[in-house]
Amino acid sequence: MSNTALQNLIDQPYKHGFVTDIESETTPKGLSEETIRLISRKKNEPEWLLEFRLTAYRHWLTMAEPKWPNVTYPKIDFQDISYYSAPKPKKKLASMDDVDPELRRTFEKLGVPLHEQKVLAGVAVDVIFDSVSVTTTYKKKLAEVGVIFCSISEAVHDHPDLVRRYLGSVVPTSDNFYAALNSAVFTDGSFCYIPKGVHCPMELSTYFRINTQDSGQFERTLIVAEEGSHVSYLEGCTAPQFDTNQLHAAVVELVALDNAEIKYSTVQNWYAGDENGRGGIYNFVTKRGLCKGVASKISWTQVETGSAITWKYPSCVLLGDDSVGEFYSVALTNHMQQADTGTKMIHVGRNTRSRIISKGISAGKSNNSYRGLVKIGPKADRARNFSQCDSMLIGDACGAHTFPYIQVQNNGATVEHEASTSKIGEDQLFYFAQRGIGPEEAVSMIINGFVKEVFTQLPMEFAVEATKLLGLKLEGSVG
Amino acid sequence: MTESAAKSYAAALLPGTLPAGPNAWLNRLRAAALERANALAVPTTRDEDWRFTDLSPLYKTAYQPATFPTEMPREAIERLFVPEATSRLVYVDGHYVPEMSMTGDDGISVGTVVDSVRGAPGIAEGHIARLVGVEQDPFAAVNTAYLQHGAVVAVPRDHQASRPVQLLFVSTQPERASYPRVLVVVERGAELSFIEDYVSLAGGAYFVNGVTEIAVGENASVRHVRVQRDSEQSFHIATCGVSLARDARYASQNICFGARISRLSHNVRQEGEGTDCKLDGLALVAGRQLADTHSSIDHAQPNGRSRQLHKCIVDGAAHAVFNGRIVVRRGAQRTDSAQSSRNLLLTGKAHVDTKPQLEILADDVKCAHGATVGQLDPDHVFYLRSRGLSEAAARNLLTYAFAAEIVDRIPIASLRERLEELVTRRTQAKV
Repeated sequence: MSNTALQNLIDQPYKHGFVTDIESETTPKGLSEETIRLISRKKNEPEWLLEFRLTAYRHWLTMAEPKWPNVTYPKIDFQDISYYSAPKPKKKLASMDDVDPELRRTFEKLGVPLHEQKVLAGVAVDVIFDSVSVTTTYKKKLAEVGVIFCSISEAVHDHPDLVRRYLGSVVPTSDNFYAALNSAVFTDGSFCYIPKGVHCPMELSTYFRINTQDSGQFERTLIVAEEGSHVSYLEGCTAPQFDTNQLHAAVVELVALDNAEIKYSTVQNWYAGDENGRGGIYNFVTKRGLCKGVASKISWTQVETGSAITWKYPSCVLLGDDSVGEFYSVALTNHMQQADTGTKMIHVGRNTRSRIISKGISAGKSNNSYRGLVKIGPKADRARNFSQCDSMLIGDACGAHTFPYIQVQNNGATVEHEASTSKIGEDQLFYFAQRGIGPEEAVSMIINGFVKEVFTQLPMEFAVEATKLLGLKLEGSVG
Repeated sequence: MTESAAKSYAAALLPGTLPAGPNAWLNRLRAAALERANALAVPTTRDEDWRFTDLSPLYKTAYQPATFPTEMPREAIERLFVPEATSRLVYVDGHYVPEMSMTGDDGISVGTVVDSVRGAPGIAEGHIARLVGVEQDPFAAVNTAYLQHGAVVAVPRDHQASRPVQLLFVSTQPERASYPRVLVVVERGAELSFIEDYVSLAGGAYFVNGVTEIAVGENASVRHVRVQRDSEQSFHIATCGVSLARDARYASQNICFGARISRLSHNVRQEGEGTDCKLDGLALVAGRQLADTHSSIDHAQPNGRSRQLHKCIVDGAAHAVFNGRIVVRRGAQRTDSAQSSRNLLLTGKAHVDTKPQLEILADDVKCAHGATVGQLDPDHVFYLRSRGLSEAAARNLLTYAFAAEIVDRIPIASLRERLEELVTRRTQAKV
């Protein structure tokens, strides 16, 4: 078959490529202490946060860009990026009707249920449009149970103690090159706090969208789950079609205290560049969760289909005894896309458990790498890890790579890793054909079967979106 | 270690000038290697390939080459002979000992690099330093700069050698360095089994820096057994490069017991279609030993097949490292590759770093790898105890069985029995 048919399946043009014509206030390009002071001033930030940013910036100056990922791209000129871009402030928004109609139309095209749909969908959406949080819904309902869900800039003003206590506690400002950069220049993001014993009544969701050309986005997300609480957080991304590369270097920090559980799901479909690899987002993200308390649990689920380059390793530090870390990932690359993604499971506490399920699909001339670390510390007695990393190759010009690092310093631990690489077999397609199912449908069914283990982990709304997304990327072969 | 210190270490191992030998080509090769060795910095843990293996204990001493031993421990060496072998080359402290070596009348050409090998002229010149280059690797460069009497084994076309060849490298002097070198060339349709055996007779800290090159011709077959039982204070760094022509077969067992720090880089390149490669490894370390095995199987042509099983048994506060890289190049369709890394940690201080690695650039392939790290299964121990074995006996038996899977694959009976004994001794915990 029909590598051609397959190719048609995955050659879908980017459907969310449009630019919203909205006036935005953008700082001049370039990065210096002055830029950072300007961002801080514009956001009316307290002194300690400015210090935090400057410390990060000064450390960043001493760091070198990482070269080890299995990706190639032209050198990024960090002075050629504007670090702050906000939609022009109009007036304080009293209701949804006050939201810029142009902006509303954009979200409608993307299908964000910002209006009545939000009630039906039961989702509170903290909409990030470029870098400033425009509106936050469902705040009241969440406030009734004591959940704080707002933009991080608001949190800095309204809950300074919490932010100060946890910001940078999981990903320190000096952690890595891009995390340091983010710490210096982050403009907005989400903050979420679940008080003790509260089971968050709804799925929390942020809709990211990069809009202004050439403005890198530096979101900062911080989620804190107090003892015995539970939260499920959704993050979804799309971006308009631009020709110059856009840098995205977000930092996400999760903290789970005793018996708390955080489930973090991502569907990422940013602009991946065209067939020849022109344009597309550089997605260099640091995501890390700290299972600080006993029997706490952090679960990452990601569906990565976009971006020219994806470079991210959502990780879990299993500090508390009996804590659990999970990572479920589907990464689809096509054309010239490059993905170097995976996870780190750092077992520190006793009886800690982790599970890694990673499914990579490569097509076109893309390269898809799984890079993971499972580290069992000397005190992590009876720690347990299971990893499975499967790759599927479509076409003979793509690559699938696996780099699992396993470091064990405790003989009471059990670590298992397995990986396989395969393609869609002629015999599988033949079997479908004799049951009257055409090759396109068969391929789509096989791929859906391949990723099923991960998709079942997604929350309902996201599972629908993700299936649609893969369908979108695979559609067009019929006829 | 600072960069300048890393740079000067390789130079400190080298002689200032090279005595000119009788072969012009060899003099040229050695001069080029000397130049590279002087220019290259030795690796540190900042290099990805050496991340888990810290060589700074080695870098404290610039070991100088051993002189020819004044007293030859003949009897002890003879006890190491494998009776099946009809051809044997013996090296003591890096020096070729012709009176203990023998060349059987079995059609195999055996000799040293500097002397022309009987029946196979030009073989060394044509093949040496082709599979293990000196450009990037400072240790290989130092080894090549010292190259003189390296072992050469050549099997002519369609000759099936029935008896194995033994290459024995014995260390007797502490505080010295030796540079073993092996070249094996097996021509089209020929077959060979050979043993590379590294043994310490006197103990102590010394440095073995070896290079082995194996060229397997079209439809030829090589069985390679490598045993490293150097002293527990020594350093053993070796590179083994293998090339496989069309339909060639290569199977190896690499057994590692010794050295304070050992490192084997085993690189197999499938240069023709339809090749078959089997790599088996066993590292059995205790105390404060570190055993590092880096392997690479490069499928450059279609229809290749490879199987790899690497096992580590780590006792005491020892440390085992495994990095197994499998590359399937563009166009190497229908490659079938499987790799497994299995690790047994016997104590709470033992520690292992393993990284099975797949790099796949072709789509019609079957590749899988797996890794496990754990201790003895308590259910297995319980089962044996229910049959009346003591806890210690049960554990010893299970540890032995774990190792035996590799040792049992050694095709030479007397060597296999000796190694079984050695494994038994090493897996008997104090009762």
